[in-house]
Formats: sequence, structure tokens, C-alpha cells
Amino acid sequence: MALLTGWAAFLVGFATIAAIYGLLTLGLNVHYGYTGLLNFGHVAFFAAGAYAAAIVTMPPPATVTNASYVVWFNLPMPWGFPVSLAAAALAGGALALLIGLTSVRLGTHYLAIATFALAGVFGDVLVNEAWLTNGSFGMNGVPKPGRAALGADVWQLAYLAFALASLAAVYLLVERVMNAPFGRLLKGIRESEAAAEMLGKNATVAKLKSFVIGGMIAGFAGGVYAHYLGSVVTAQFLPAVTFTVYAAMLLGGAASNTGAVVGAFTVVAFRESTRFITTAYDWVQATLPEPLTGVLPALVGPLPNNPSFIPSMRLVAVGLLFVLVIRYRPEGLLGNPAEVDALGDEGGGE
Amino acid sequence: MSFHDFLQVIVFGLIEGSVIAVGAVGLTLSYGVTRFINFAYGEFLTYGAYLTLFLAGGLFGLSLPLPAAAVVAIAVVGGLGVAVSRTFFEPITDRGALPLLITSIGVSFVLRNLLQGWVGVDARQLPIPLLRRQEYFGLVELTDLELGVVVAGVATMAAIHLLLQHTMLGKRMRATSGNRSLAEVAGIDTTNVVRQTWFVSAAAGALSGVLYAVLFSPFRPGVGFEYLIVVFAATLLGGIGRPYGAMLGAFAIGLAMNFGSTYLSANYTRAYAFLILVAVLLVKPEGIRGGEF
Repeated sequence: MALLTGWAAFLVGFATIAAIYGLLTLGLNVHYGYTGLLNFGHVAFFAAGAYAAAIVTMPPPATVTNASYVVWFNLPMPWGFPVSLAAAALAGGALALLIGLTSVRLGTHYLAIATFALAGVFGDVLVNEAWLTNGSFGMNGVPKPGRAALGADVWQLAYLAFALASLAAVYLLVERVMNAPFGRLLKGIRESEAAAEMLGKNATVAKLKSFVIGGMIAGFAGGVYAHYLGSVVTAQFLPAVTFTVYAAMLLGGAASNTGAVVGAFTVVAFRESTRFITTAYDWVQATLPEPLTGVLPALVGPLPNNPSFIPSMRLVAVGLLFVLVIRYRPEGLLGNPAEVDALGDEGGGE
Repeated sequence: MSFHDFLQVIVFGLIEGSVIAVGAVGLTLSYGVTRFINFAYGEFLTYGAYLTLFLAGGLFGLSLPLPAAAVVAIAVVGGLGVAVSRTFFEPITDRGALPLLITSIGVSFVLRNLLQGWVGVDARQLPIPLLRRQEYFGLVELTDLELGVVVAGVATMAAIHLLLQHTMLGKRMRATSGNRSLAEVAGIDTTNVVRQTWFVSAAAGALSGVLYAVLFSPFRPGVGFEYLIVVFAATLLGGIGRPYGAMLGAFAIGLAMNFGSTYLSANYTRAYAFLILVAVLLVKPEGIRGGEF
């Protein structure tokens, strides 16, 4: 039964990844959009969640090739799945608490650099502590819950439904929290920390809570990701993930949850669609009438012929997106200009 | 570990400290007049190393000797810094620090991936010979190149000191850094000063990249972005916007990284830089050296 082939398979895979990025973007939006915390280490929370999910559900290393990890819990699947996702969210939250305790009090610049750096250090830990993470081989036996019972195609669709439902649930939760008094406190801190303090609020504790909430959402996203791909490898968790999520948030509009989801789907759609550039090229080349067949090769000829060309240009586009959105539409597609203005006003790190 | 090894670790720390110091001073100078941390700064290191490689390796149809190639590359990257500032940062200068900082992330992605798309991800190496270490004072051993890196680092520090304290441009830079509006009122063309600072800053970044490539070749297009963390550590440790603090911070970070790798574990070189940084920030959020520059 080849239910999912070609376009259908691509769309289902795209939508699942986009839902996971939607979760990541919602988490980052709590940090940056609502609280003004410039977190440049978001990928670390995502990785912490993915690894936590892998560690609690991995089978014994003897049954997996290239395995050298010594900690595994091999939770059986039906009820192991929610436990694993809870562990993922907790791991993300715990790492956020740890990083937040050291750096959440710092000014904008110091916070950006400290989170960026601590995420880099966390990445070093993942690569080097092979007893826990299996090093750069990664954990390649993360169970896909229900896969055996449902079959590959139905499972793909079921998991997509689960990812979208998770996204909807987290969306509603964040909306609710941000419209509650706690959400207003966060926005108040974003506009003026001094004013919030003067009203008797403890800004540091509120910022730390915001940091942990966003970290838990990112950790949860990591769990969903680990069980979707069935493997967790250090090379998936590079700083580029953090900045792709930033691109999604800025494009959609900081401090807008709808914007976060729309931004994530747009950025992931762009990223995935560039895979078809060569296919599209071949198709155009085949359809062109005879006298024009020389045109495309002549245009493409001077471009460097190395395998990293298209992936690199994809990231150039992400970079340009940052520059253009900030310059011409700081509120993004769906953001509220008044809220975004408040973000830009923050002073330097001193 | 013997006393001799201990001294040798100090020397390696100081050598790496020189590389970091050149980069950190450049970064902190641009912060001083622009008031935002430039995440695209690492790309100046990368471009410095790659341009030197291309100029020395005959890619542009000429094979300059390595030092000449480095000088040309440094000047070109200085110009690139001014161009980047005029294209990306000047139009949004009055929008506050955050938009500038986020834009600099975008710029770093653009610069790094343009280079990577062009040259690929393979590691490259500057054409430098393998040298034997010579003994100095019967205590420490250095290659001529390592000695050269330290000399270049110290000379750059001295040049920056002279620039800041004894030239008109340095005075204008200090005035602009202290209070831009006041400098403007006093008749200083601050836009121009900012551009000149970008040139100096980017050129220092390029030099740091060349020194890094000499010391730790081979390198890839991600080299500057990865080393940026270390440069940041030194900059923050010294207090952002403070060149003399950045110099001190750089040597502290260089020593910490080399002591950590030698005596603890070589897997966590960057982590030592950061543990020190975080520890200092917790106690003294403004860095180890207070005061204006």
C-alpha cells in the first residue's frame, strides 16, 4: 500500500517538521516577544528535550549498532510516550533554569552572548559525554510509538495529527498565560523593568519563570522531534536552528503567537522547498524549446559546483530575511507595531 | 607535570591570548562607537584567513608572499567592514541596540554562507612550513611562527594604544564613544568617525583570523563564527567597549583555555573560557576593568 508517495509524503513530512518548529517558535516568543529576553541558545533546550526523550526510551545498547551509552530506561511504548515527552519538557525546563540562574539578570547584550555561549558549551557536552549521549554517532534507536501497529503510512499521518494537536494545545496554553496577570507582568518587564520593580514585582523571578516556560516548550518540541525521526544526533542541534527559529519569529511577528506559527510554517516551507531547485531546473531545461536550451547552463555555469552551494544559499536567504524584516517590517507579518517598538528601545548592556 | 611543562602552558596561553586580544580589541572598539555587539564580527576573521589564502595561493592570478598577502587581505577586510556598516547598519542606527544586534546575526549568515557556497566546507591551510621549536632562555620552546604571532599581537596592541591616545582620530573615537551627541555638537563628524572605526575594527578582526590560521590551521568557513564565542568571552571579561580591558580579558581567556585543556580535559576548551566568564559576570557584571577608554 503506497498511500504516501511523492507530493503527499513530502507535505506530511513538511507539516510535521513545521509543527515542531512552531512549538520552538512559541517557546522563543515567550522569551523574546513577551519578556524581551534575548535568548540566543534556544537550540540547547530543544537538544536537551530530544536527548531526554531518547535516553528514557532507548533500548539496551547491545541491540543497537555503534552504541556505547550506559544509561537507558527502555520504557515500553504505549505509556512510555507521554512519560518521555514529560521528561523532555522537564529537561528543557531544567536546563533553562540552570542557564537562567546564571544569566537572566544580565543586560541584553550580556544575556545574548551568555546564552549563545552556554548553548555552545552544552553542544560540546553532548558530543563528548558519549556514556550519556552516544557522542557524535547519536542515539539511533528511539522508538516511534505505534509505528509497528499502524504501518508506515498511517503512522506518518497519525504522528502529524499528534504534532498538530500538540501545537494547538501549546498555542492555547501560551495565549492563556500571556493574557493572564503573569503575562501582563512579563510585558510590563519588557517595557520597563524599573517600573515593574517599583510596583513591588520581582522582575528577576518573573524573567526566570519566563525562561523556564519557554525552555520547557522547546524541550517538549525536542521530544516530539526525537520520536518522529527515531534518531537524535548532535549535528541536528547547531546554532543555525536557533537562528532559523528567530527568523520564523521575526517574520511572523514578535509577541504574536499566531505570527509564531505562521512564521514557522513559512520558514520551514521555504527551507524544504529549496530541495526541489535541481528538480525544477531539470524540468525547465527539459521543457524549454530547442534554441533556448543553452541559456540556463550559461547562467548557472559560473556558479561554484560544490555540494554545499544550495544549502549555503538557503542560509544566505535566512540571513537576508533577518536584515529585511528588521529594516522594513519590524513587526513582522502579524505582530503589533506598538509591542515591537518596546523591544527595540532597550538600552545597551551597560 | 613538571615546572617546565607548566611554563610551556603559560606560553601557549599567552600565544593564543595574543590572537584573541587582537580580535577582542577590534570588536570592543566597534562596540564603543556603535553600542551594539556585532555577531557578524567572526566573519571578518574568516574572510581575513581566506583572503590571505587566496592571495598567497594564486587564486586571483597572483601569488603574493604570505606576509604581503596578509597585509592586503587585512586592508580589504577593513574596507569590507565599512561597506557592511554602510549597507546594513547605518540605515537603522537610530532604532536602538536590539535591531542592530539582530541584523548583525543576519549579516553573519549572509557573509559566512556566501563564502561557504563558493569554496565549500573542505578544510584549507595557509602555505606555511612546519617548523621546529627552539628553546628560549632554557625554559620554554617556541617556533618562529609562534613568536611571530606574539610579536604581531603585541605590536597591534601598541598600535591601538597609540591610535587611541596620540592621534586625532583616536581622540575623536574616544569622544564619540563617550557621548555621541556631545561629540557631534563639538563639531566632530561622528558618521565618519564610526566608519573609520569600522575599518580599524574589521581589519583587526582579519588580522586575528590570519594569526589564528597561522597557529591552528586547517580552517573551514565556520572558523570565525565558532571562535567568536572565545572573542566574546574576552571582550565581556574586560567589560564591553573597553579596549584595555579586552586585552587583559584575552590573555586571561587564553591562559584559562590552555590550562584547562592541559590539566583537565582537552574536549572542553571553549567551556573553560565560559566558566570563567560566567563566574566573573556573576560577581562583577561590568567586567574586570571598569572606567572609560
